[in-house]
Amino acid sequence: MADNTALSISAVTKRFGGVIATDNVSFDVPAGSRMALIGPNGAGKTSLFNLISGVYSVDSGVILLEGKPIQNMPPRRRVSAGLARSFQNIRLMPHLSVVENVMLGQHVRVKGARAALAPLAWQRGNKWRRLAESSLRCAGIDVDPDADVSTLSYGIRKRIEVVRALMSQPRLLMLDEPAAGLNTRETAELSSFLKTVARDGVTLLVVEHDMSFVHDLCERTVVLNFGQLIYQGPTAGVHDDEEVRAAYLGRRRVNTEGASPVA
Amino acid sequence: MTSSAFARYRPLVQSPAFITMIIAAVVAAGIAVGGQVIARQVASGVLLGSIYMTVAVAFTLTIGVLNFLNFTIPTLFMLTGMVAWGLMSNGFVKFAGGWSWLAALAAGVAVAVIASLIVERFTFRYLKIKHGDATEHAIPLVSSLGFLLIFEHLVLIFLGSESQRFAVPFKADAHIGSLVIGGAQLASCGLAVVVVAALSYVLKNTRTGRALRTIAENPDTATLLGVEVNKVVPVVFILTGLLAGVAGALFTVNYGSVSPFMGENVGAKAIAATVLGGVGSIWGAIAGGLIIGLIETLSIYFLGGDSVQMVVWGLVLVIIIVRPRGLFGTIATGKGKM
Amino acid sequence: MSGYVSGIVAILCINLIFAYGLFVPAAAGQINLGGAGFQAIGAYSAAWLSSVALLPTWATIPAAMLVAGLVGFLISFPVLRTRGVYMVLATFAFGEVVAGFLLRTQFFGGAIGMVVPAHVELPVLVACAVTVTLLSFYLMATRFGLAMRSINDDEAAAVLMGVNVRAVQVAAFTIGGAVAGLSGALYAHNFSFVEAQYFNSFLSIYVLLFVLIGGVQTAWGPLVGTLFFTLLPELMRVGGSWRYVVFGAAIVIMMTIRPQGMVTRAVIDALSPRRWTSKRFATGAVHGG
Repeated sequence: MADNTALSISAVTKRFGGVIATDNVSFDVPAGSRMALIGPNGAGKTSLFNLISGVYSVDSGVILLEGKPIQNMPPRRRVSAGLARSFQNIRLMPHLSVVENVMLGQHVRVKGARAALAPLAWQRGNKWRRLAESSLRCAGIDVDPDADVSTLSYGIRKRIEVVRALMSQPRLLMLDEPAAGLNTRETAELSSFLKTVARDGVTLLVVEHDMSFVHDLCERTVVLNFGQLIYQGPTAGVHDDEEVRAAYLGRRRVNTEGASPVA
Repeated sequence: MTSSAFARYRPLVQSPAFITMIIAAVVAAGIAVGGQVIARQVASGVLLGSIYMTVAVAFTLTIGVLNFLNFTIPTLFMLTGMVAWGLMSNGFVKFAGGWSWLAALAAGVAVAVIASLIVERFTFRYLKIKHGDATEHAIPLVSSLGFLLIFEHLVLIFLGSESQRFAVPFKADAHIGSLVIGGAQLASCGLAVVVVAALSYVLKNTRTGRALRTIAENPDTATLLGVEVNKVVPVVFILTGLLAGVAGALFTVNYGSVSPFMGENVGAKAIAATVLGGVGSIWGAIAGGLIIGLIETLSIYFLGGDSVQMVVWGLVLVIIIVRPRGLFGTIATGKGKM
Repeated sequence: MSGYVSGIVAILCINLIFAYGLFVPAAAGQINLGGAGFQAIGAYSAAWLSSVALLPTWATIPAAMLVAGLVGFLISFPVLRTRGVYMVLATFAFGEVVAGFLLRTQFFGGAIGMVVPAHVELPVLVACAVTVTLLSFYLMATRFGLAMRSINDDEAAAVLMGVNVRAVQVAAFTIGGAVAGLSGALYAHNFSFVEAQYFNSFLSIYVLLFVLIGGVQTAWGPLVGTLFFTLLPELMRVGGSWRYVVFGAAIVIMMTIRPQGMVTRAVIDALSPRRWTSKRFATGAVHGG
């Protein structure tokens, strides 16, 4: 576990009753890399995200974030330690405005009673609000910061969730299907935005079905099937792997031109 | 992770013989230990407990199936007694006066069921808006508080605020050794046991019962499995009205008086019984109701009347602190958004 | 000011403070149906300190808040192990325990109640009500308020955002207890008499209704709800019980058509003049830059 590993998963197993969600899964995510996590529906991708972020606790195995074991930490400590995530189904707070949702992401970086009890909503020029607004602009989200999130389009809400996750200054950013529901232009924008995020030193781990997006963004890929790791290596090699082909067989042929292997 | 109290305690709940045995065992223990005086306290505690039990089952059913704390239950209880009194006495609506006590009580129960269905319309049927907050579960609760005010004050307007005598020609006493137990008391305990046993039979063996249990486990899954929630929800309210109404009728017959406020104490004690037994568990409601009834009569006897509230609710508070899921509740201590 | 009007204003102030005591936990997603229990603790603490320990009001009122807040802190741990309807039941039971305890305890006058010698005048009540209202708005504007609102919206997601949900909820419950205790202390000193029967479950229910029907999304909710439901019966000149029937019907209709409460964030946004100008400015700036 050298300095260059952002996240190390070793022998992580989780069962729900008789169903095995992840079966002895091990892989490393090198620091600064952009890694994809793919697999057919029900392969255990979201379960693995939930294990890493602390929604579920592991049955066995070790999860190291930059060398520190986190599998027994409560979720908020993992956020402090540098882990942030988005959700497959958008989980923005419905009754908070855009900027309030983003400022919620800053929560673990705000220290001390004075900061907690400053009347944020009344100080429209305070540094936390300015930071949130400028981050929204950087991500190309051109909306009224005081807008109600429920009035915004799906694609915009999806990207606001990414910005909110970035507000905790994560070392590792885990995105659960960030491109789902986005149109081609939005997907391209998201991809280039995530590349700039990665250039700033944030490691990316992305669950995604859109293979053209994966090819564009991620240099390495891990494939899960029925809770087991069946491939890890360069993204380009995914389609040539026999086991991966077998996993997707019967659904649709994996095609390098970017159609999603799983509709 | 969700767990149904019904699924877990079904074997115990379905057995009326078991419930009867428990009651008999408690009474027998009382007689054996404390002699006749205690035995009489225990008997009246069991009677009171059987009324609490019936109301507590109504509470636990709506909470278990619908995640809904229905505050109209005590008023349905009261409605039965007051309507029956109104139909029996000549002072109320001339043409309706002079009903026999049995017919009047039956009509009272019917009114409770109808009132319960009106509540269903406004708490579930017409209520389609969801705001997604953690306090969302309080929407039907607040509506039921509104109905509590409406029903109680309509009764006050049309039937007056006085406590009224409800005379029943019911004199058959049973003699067990030297102990005399009122026939009404015995009949009440019997009827309460029959109603609860019938309910657990319905829950276990009928199509509707299975649908109810599925909704209790998880409403979303129930919809996926093809349970027509809109058709099943009224059943819960019919059962609620029936249970509260029967309990109200039993109370009226046994204590020979009705008042617009008779539901308040019984409702509060039934809530205590529900919490004590474990919310959502029918077996818990039964046990909780009997325990509260016994504690109430025994603490009146040993400690005096004004100690009841403190003893009963102190016990409930201790339960909440050391064991929030109650005596028989399952691990789930409430459905939150997860 | 006539005695009638000043009586209404006094009870309005006390109910408003009480409502904010229930609002603070409710804004963090916890419904407290044992509010009268906290109010009673505040009232009896003040009454005892005033009549037995002979302390002045500037000491009894903060002490009453402290006691009620401490009880709120301690009771929040078991109560927060429950959620949803179960929490409503647990807090309801708490309110009943307090009422039963006070009714039984001769130390606090039992069923006879206690006379409170030190009197607090109406202006003090109004000042306290205004202060509590302003502080509630302030609290909702802070990052702590943001955390409370996020818990109400989606507790599981708030946890994964790094919010210390347990700490926020305990704090909200404690603050709520102390504020409800303040309303009790003011009640004791203004009415000069406390009796356990006043702090019954119906009081808890009514004031919780003010809060839930006013709305828990913004600090306007309890203010609007309390004003509406305290003044409505006074303005409605229909007789005795019909008044409550109308009140009940209003609640049922309100919950059917507008379950999120009278005042929501969207309403405040629509009514805010600053927002109209700032929105145009913000969109203009983004397009320009």
